Amino acid sequence: MADPRPRTVEFRGRPLALPAGATLLAGLAERGLPQFQRSVRYHRPRAPFCGVGHCSQCLVRVNGVPNVRACRYEPAPGDRITTENAWPSPRWDLLGALDLVFGRGLDSLHGFRRPVWAMPLYHRVIRRLAGYGAPPTADPAPIAPPREIRTDAIVVGAGPAGRAAAARIRAAGRATLLVDRSPVTAPPADVGLLAGVTAAFLPPPGRDGEFRLAATRGREGMILRAPRVLLAPGGYDANLLFPGNDRPGVMTAEGAMALLDRRGNPPFRRALLVGGGARAMEMVDRFGAHVEAVVAPTQVHGTIAERAAELDIPVFPRTLLTAAHGRSRVRSALLRRRGGGETTRLSVDAIVLAHRRLPHVPLFFQVGARMEWRGSTGAYYPVLDDALATSVPGLFTAGESAGFVAPASAEASGIAAAEALLDRPARLADLPPRTAGEGPHELEGYYRELLAGRTGRGKLVACACEDVLLGEIDAAHRAGYRGIEVIKRYTSLGTGLCQGRYCVPDALLLLAQLESRPPSEVGFLTQRPPVLPTPLDAWASLPDEADPEAGP
Amino acid sequence: MSPGGDRREFRVAIVGAGIIGLFTAHHLARAGFGPIVVLDRGFLSNGASGRNGGGVRQQWETPETIRLARESVAAYRRFGAEFGYNIWFRQGGYLFLATDALELQGLDRIYAAVRAEGLGIRKLAPEEIPALVPGIRSEGVAGGTYLRQDGTLYPFPAIWALYESVRRAGVEVRLGTGVTGVLRSGDRVTGVTTDPGGELRAEWVVNAAGGWSGDLARRAGLEVANVATRHEILATEPLKRFLDPMVVRLRDGLYFSQTMRGEIVGGLTVRHPPGTGHGVPTSIRFLREMSRALTGLLPRLGPLGILRAWSGFYDDTPDGLPVIGEEERLRGFVEANGFGGHGFMLAPAASRRIAAVLLGERSDLDPARFGPGRFALPGRDHAPERVQLG
Ligand SMILES: Cc1cc2nc3c(=O)[nH]c(=O)nc-3n(C[C@H](O)[C@H](O)[C@H](O)COP(=O)(O)OP(=O)(O)OC[C@H]3O[C@@H](n4cnc5c(N)ncnc54)[C@H](O)[C@@H]3O)c2cc1C
Ligand code: FES
Repeated sequence: MADPRPRTVEFRGRPLALPAGATLLAGLAERGLPQFQRSVRYHRPRAPFCGVGHCSQCLVRVNGVPNVRACRYEPAPGDRITTENAWPSPRWDLLGALDLVFGRGLDSLHGFRRPVWAMPLYHRVIRRLAGYGAPPTADPAPIAPPREIRTDAIVVGAGPAGRAAAARIRAAGRATLLVDRSPVTAPPADVGLLAGVTAAFLPPPGRDGEFRLAATRGREGMILRAPRVLLAPGGYDANLLFPGNDRPGVMTAEGAMALLDRRGNPPFRRALLVGGGARAMEMVDRFGAHVEAVVAPTQVHGTIAERAAELDIPVFPRTLLTAAHGRSRVRSALLRRRGGGETTRLSVDAIVLAHRRLPHVPLFFQVGARMEWRGSTGAYYPVLDDALATSVPGLFTAGESAGFVAPASAEASGIAAAEALLDRPARLADLPPRTAGEGPHELEGYYRELLAGRTGRGKLVACACEDVLLGEIDAAHRAGYRGIEVIKRYTSLGTGLCQGRYCVPDALLLLAQLESRPPSEVGFLTQRPPVLPTPLDAWASLPDEADPEAGP
Repeated sequence: MSPGGDRREFRVAIVGAGIIGLFTAHHLARAGFGPIVVLDRGFLSNGASGRNGGGVRQQWETPETIRLARESVAAYRRFGAEFGYNIWFRQGGYLFLATDALELQGLDRIYAAVRAEGLGIRKLAPEEIPALVPGIRSEGVAGGTYLRQDGTLYPFPAIWALYESVRRAGVEVRLGTGVTGVLRSGDRVTGVTTDPGGELRAEWVVNAAGGWSGDLARRAGLEVANVATRHEILATEPLKRFLDPMVVRLRDGLYFSQTMRGEIVGGLTVRHPPGTGHGVPTSIRFLREMSRALTGLLPRLGPLGILRAWSGFYDDTPDGLPVIGEEERLRGFVEANGFGGHGFMLAPAASRRIAAVLLGERSDLDPARFGPGRFALPGRDHAPERVQLG
């Protein structure tokens, strides 16, 4: 049983009592929207964005260890927690002046090359500014001994699909291990549970047909081995590009949920909710009284329009977000109907993104599964045959990452995929429809207009982790560079802490517009392991000889 | 960046738009030697030139290699001013670490050779090392050598700069165009076949295909000694500056440096047992061995996250030296490969020598040490450059 008493930590040099059982982020959210650091290049104010441990906007230093994500960290009594990359504080940061000095952006590709004798000076200054946290200052405690677990089937992801699948496989008498990087409550009976464990790297199976999954829990590493793997890692709320999209107060729906305080209050009073589908509907129901308006870059679903009308919430379908104003916090947003029209100004203190769900795909790419582009969400999904098999023998998938989004259909797909894994008959045709494959994503049109309507002033941050501006993508395109792989290397978009999760999907749609070809031809960034930044210590603690014999 | 152009006759066809191919095109174009086409089957920077650690050192064992490296360092210092792109060449030094007496002897050889060329290399006692590498564990460090003028650069902008510069000079760069065969008439090369595209005529064909240059030569009917080996590398989360030099440990080939953006980038030589690890871009074995080596030396980095791992091919030769010169067995076919893990640091100087072959200029490189025919020579020592690291 966890200790229910509040825990006192030292936060930025002062004692602070935090509620037990809450993440550092949720604990601090009681005092308003926290700000932990400035952005990496321009020291722009940033506040928590994703709430699920991917983005780079809630990094703190805990007991001398840098780059700890507040949204995933449960503080222990006596922890020393500080903020980094801001002086004197994230709210008032002297280097914030960089954002003004380099108002049109800092060109590190062409700038700072003359005179040759001054180079060491530039190096010194830029290196002082680069990076998030300072290096750890003390040697950590020794790491755990190597661990290897063999089982009949590994299920990754404890959402509705993964749980249903694990329960079904277990019911057939197979030893089953359920892995999830979040805490998991009430796992299915008799299923082995590894909660708080990140499935970090799944290479293709060996010649012996066995999978070796490298997984980590904090600084501990382990190898999980099984002849069958079912991936149900689910999905996440996507980013959206608009001028001001990196301002504090812009967050995904998941980010808003991670910032709820103990009484369930959100970190805003009046939010602009972005989205017109099922996810936005969920958020209207969740935050109703706090939703100032619903705006969708694409069509608005009938049900959400009705619900919003009941609650007296104005709805703006097919609308461009032309600006978010407010320096240390969003104060207002400007909207304009797509295709032209009047501009509406709304006073809001948050913009919540619930317009697009994306599947978690890195594990599929690592293991070498064949993938296909599905235009209706603008994302890649694993190819499934009629009997629910992926292209990799022994690998199965279900839930949102397989294109079954609604909880009921995710669950049904979990059961069916478990049947397939057990070599029993299962038919794709018996399942509810997957995310539609055809049709260009409606967001492509949004991005076409965004590009056309840009005024050229102010920064539009296309990759928040690395502070890459839309203008830099434009410039790369004008200089003749094509395709996401080259644009990434040219601009460094997608090379930051979130490993491209919050910039590459949008960059694909943008580049499709610039290059006048379908997004699937713009390419896909090679998904480089590990799935998430995971500690060197965890990798060092893996057992020897974990590599499979090469496949046939 | 499309296959582009419909000219079918060139004076020079360069296979490979990596650092070697592009730099060679630059020197040739400058000398007015053309028309030139550079052919690459992938996107720009898809080869080793877009996957390396950016290390540039002058600590070598033989006078020729030290001179090539030294000339290259001078070129990289001027590169930004000359080509318009900033490659962030930072002379933070290279630190070689020895673990035992035998390795110290190896460093003594390097020290003597580098000193003889007049460079300010220093020998370091174990207690001098923590000042350069804060947090390093001194156990197992027997000593080192350090040359402050060595350094690291950011490879991509060098590629962009050369790509744009050669195109401005009239060189055609056809990306997405693979070379599928080499055309010959008797013992003379006459062109290449490409996909897409068909046949292209050329008086000269330069084999700058990096890890695939052995393939290309064999397609031309030549027996060569090049072997492609996969090398893995990783980057950690970015940290504030704490490490200036590139650190290289002789024992296991561990190398790492801190980039301008603050990431620790490095790798080490992992030997996969036969039948394992090949074909996959990244292996669990590498991640484990690299993490053990790095945290064994610098324990405090242990909690730091690995951000991404990737790999590329070294184009290795039996003696660790590149192959530069015209094939006697196939006139007009110029080898410009075999750079192993050092092609970036040697490119500016080596590419001058490659261009010189076509221009008919005298070269200071001894064909018995660098020429394509050398592996067929009887009774030669195949290991003059022993340190094959970073
Ligand atoms: C992990 C790693 C770390 C390294 N670290 C360093 C370092 O720190 N310092 C250093 O100096 N060097 C380092 N190297 C080595 C260095 O990167 C290479 O030696 C150098 O980039 C070679 O350049 P290149 O132009 O010869 O080959 P590449 O850059 O590989 O270019 C060859 C090109 O040829 C093309 N090609 C091949 N075959 C064909 C064909 N048939 N038709 C058309 N195109 C073809 C390929 O698409 C490719 O673009 C490292 C290499 C690796 C892999
Ligand atoms: S936004 Fe995270 S890498 Fe681009």
